[in-house]
Amino acid sequence: MFFRRPKRLFVPLGDDRFEVTLDPNVRQGLLTLADQLDEVQTSDRPEARRLFPTAYTDDPERDAGYQIFARDQLIEKRRAAVEIMRTTAEADELTGEELASWMGVLNDLRLVLGTMLDVSEEDTFVDPDHPHAESQLLYRFLSELVHEMVESLTTSLPETEDQ
Amino acid sequence: MVVVWNDPINLMSYVAYVFRKLFGYSEEKANLLMLDVHEKGRAAVSSGTRTEAERDVNRLHSHGLWATMEHDE
Repeated sequence: MFFRRPKRLFVPLGDDRFEVTLDPNVRQGLLTLADQLDEVQTSDRPEARRLFPTAYTDDPERDAGYQIFARDQLIEKRRAAVEIMRTTAEADELTGEELASWMGVLNDLRLVLGTMLDVSEEDTFVDPDHPHAESQLLYRFLSELVHEMVESLTTSLPETEDQ
Repeated sequence: MVVVWNDPINLMSYVAYVFRKLFGYSEEKANLLMLDVHEKGRAAVSSGTRTEAERDVNRLHSHGLWATMEHDE
């Protein structure tokens, strides 16, 4: 038996368009998760911490000023991305901007899950007996999807040379 | 200057992609900066006025990266 690389899940079609080959059940599952993001980001739960990073580590007063405007802005951006995901959840093709919105939502979900699971860079396998094994598997699955999205979206970036 | 810090959640490929997308860096420069973040724990990714730096930090935060502002040495 020969192993073949499975078909890409987000196939670049050129002209900033991407074919999406995800199973309908997976799409629905991702959307269900995305809908939970707003509840988390507007809560004071500890796993939301990573969604609103500190900007001034050495100046709490200035950071508080930054957070006042940045927090609402980040919340609204996430809501807009989830809405794009909702309206395109069943689409066979996405634009680069739409795919980037999906990727942003999935990465935010990873930030929440990763914080909840307290992941480290040394975590390389899932222990099936761990009480959070399902969340760990979901985290790994989202990581795979984000990585595939990056690979596809990278094909749309312009070739640049540094000055 | 704007500093991006290492974290165990964001994928290395994703971090390099964000550097290319936001700052227009070449693949080589984006990968070098990403490796600095990963191996040294942090990397200075842009500089400018306080307003420009705050804008860049905000754009990095909206992509899920942990970025902070520091005074240039």
